[in-house]
Amino acid sequence: MNHAKRHRKDFMIRIGIGIVSSIGLFVLIAIFAFVFQKGSSLLSWQLLTGDYYSTTYDSYYDGTLPSAGFERPSSLDDSVYYSSVWGIGLQDDLDAEGKPYILIVYVDPNSPLTSLPDKNTEGETVQIASGQTLGKVIFSNRTIVLTSNGAQSAIQLFDGADGILDLLTTTRGKGIRGSIITTLYLIGLTLVIALPIGVFSAVYLHEYAPKNSKLAEALRRLVEMLTGVPSIIFGLLGAAVFIPFTSTITAADGGNLFSGALTLAVIVLPVIISSTEESLKVIPDEYRQASLALGATKTQTTFRVVLKAAIPGILSAVLLSVGRIIGESAALIYAVGTAIKDHIILTERSTSLAVHIWSIMAGETPNFELASAISIIILIVVFVLNLIVKLVARRLSRA
Amino acid sequence: MNARAVFQINDLNLHYGEKQALFDISMEIPRNQVTALIGPSGCGKSTLLRSLNRMNDLIDGCHIDGQVRYEEEDVYAKTYDVIELRTKVGMVFQKPNPFPMSIFDNVAYGPRCQGIKDKKVLADIVKKALENAALYDEVKDRLKESGNALSGGQQQRLCIARAIAMNPDVILMDEPTSALDPIATAKIEDLIQDLKKDYTIVIVTHNMQQAARISDNTAFFLMGELVEFDKTDLIFSQPRDQRTEDYITGRFG
Ligand SMILES: Nc1ncnc2c1ncn2[C@@H]1O[C@H](COP(=O)(O)OP(=O)(O)OP(=O)(O)O)[C@@H](O)[C@H]1O
Ligand SMILES: [Mg+2]
Repeated sequence: MNHAKRHRKDFMIRIGIGIVSSIGLFVLIAIFAFVFQKGSSLLSWQLLTGDYYSTTYDSYYDGTLPSAGFERPSSLDDSVYYSSVWGIGLQDDLDAEGKPYILIVYVDPNSPLTSLPDKNTEGETVQIASGQTLGKVIFSNRTIVLTSNGAQSAIQLFDGADGILDLLTTTRGKGIRGSIITTLYLIGLTLVIALPIGVFSAVYLHEYAPKNSKLAEALRRLVEMLTGVPSIIFGLLGAAVFIPFTSTITAADGGNLFSGALTLAVIVLPVIISSTEESLKVIPDEYRQASLALGATKTQTTFRVVLKAAIPGILSAVLLSVGRIIGESAALIYAVGTAIKDHIILTERSTSLAVHIWSIMAGETPNFELASAISIIILIVVFVLNLIVKLVARRLSRA
Repeated sequence: MNARAVFQINDLNLHYGEKQALFDISMEIPRNQVTALIGPSGCGKSTLLRSLNRMNDLIDGCHIDGQVRYEEEDVYAKTYDVIELRTKVGMVFQKPNPFPMSIFDNVAYGPRCQGIKDKKVLADIVKKALENAALYDEVKDRLKESGNALSGGQQQRLCIARAIAMNPDVILMDEPTSALDPIATAKIEDLIQDLKKDYTIVIVTHNMQQAARISDNTAFFLMGELVEFDKTDLIFSQPRDQRTEDYITGRFG
């Protein structure tokens, strides 16, 4: 009887644990699924390499057109409408908000459209190219293209005209090249600052500091403590210390990439110090003894044998740091800023990928699709980095 | 002092913290001979060996009184250059411990640390050291491979080559064959016989036959004291001390 009761209890608890953990798993999967479903349609080369801001060009054409026209290239899809008079291919498309627009998908390299005079700036030219959006067009025969009538009607009007009074085109925009570059700069600058300091601190702690050294103990405590500090506090540190500091020694005025890198360096230092120290710990003492017994100095032993053997560990510290830098947002809101930029200047504000998400979601019209697309990119990069760290660690434990 | 002595040890007392490990050791290590240190586990053989090239310096709390003279000079004197000492007095450890780098780099490590950069000179040194360690023929086609890819016996000969590459005067060996099989052990014993022409060798061993086979002199230690030190044939044929006799006949230890 008692036996049966215990069995039943065991069964209930197991069911309970099962339900609770599957709720957790379900929530996680749901988040990923949501992000992928929302953002995957935007993933493209253009997203990675394009400008964030779209520019509208205003131009015209009053020259002559070659009577032979331009042949439709066979590579064009059937859904593309083509004007052989102008050598331009157009396609209907929907933007992120679901509104229809006309996309330029092909311009013949010899078409006059590849170089039109710019109405806004005297002497400048405008290049109509694939990837741009076609806006309003007024032809010299007074016909007018309206985007809402679609690509087919536009092509008919193009074919019937031999001059353009006014041509509006818009580059696509919503690309994240600028934020990718900022992120890469931050990774590079941060590692340049934090890697030597972190590795040398770990070397000091593990190889040089005398046992029971007060300084070493204090340093270890500090490292432990820093690991648990929420990053917004580092952000404040960046705002209070690093922005003024970098503003005095560079041309910067306000948030910039140097103050961002310094802030991030403080954040990743504990990671680098502790994982480097861990990797120094597993290096057998026999190596150090063998080296010293060969008449090598302490420094030679440290650099030629110990650090060399610790390289895989240091590498995984670097990868962990890169993951942390890519994922960091709160600490950078002050130190680097929240202004999305296409042309990155080290001494000016810009956004990293993570802050880019924050910026577009904090605006008047949050762009969920773009935020999700960036999230996917960050998730993939972080996932790959973690995978490499695991592989390195496994290689290490096997050696 | 005997001119044939490389090391002269005078009233050496060594403490690890509170614990005394060596008591009033006095002995001379003869030049170009093999000297074996024997005795039961924990009697201080390794400790004595390590005090010859000052590897005991690395141990926290290790304290030394008395003298160790190498070529007449007190190696524990304040001004003595320990780096210089270790380039002249090489060491081979119980467990083969090649660096995690190529065979070539392992052997070239010591010379490189001395500042030798010339590729040809290094290649010469490495080749000669490997030849002298009777390893060259086995590894000549794979000098770029990791030293850890060798067998245990080969690794130990690599470690001997690494020590020889420094062109030392003395080689200290702490149970160099205890981790090896009989064939690899025989190879190392042959090697030691060859090496004694050019080097003074001090070897710690637990193997009585080995001591009898390869050494010219044998020192027997017991609980940190030097019980008896003499020509190996004398120690093994007519020991003067009862304790020595008991030990070599296997009555204890
Ligand atoms: N690093 C150390 N710290 C403290 N005590 C030590 C240390 N190394 C050795 N000892 C002690 O000193 C004594 C001599 O040790 P040693 O290693 O020299 O003996 P051994 O004769 O080489 O023994 P074995 O044959 O087992 O290698 C032992 O009692 C040992 O416990
Ligand atoms: Mg020993």
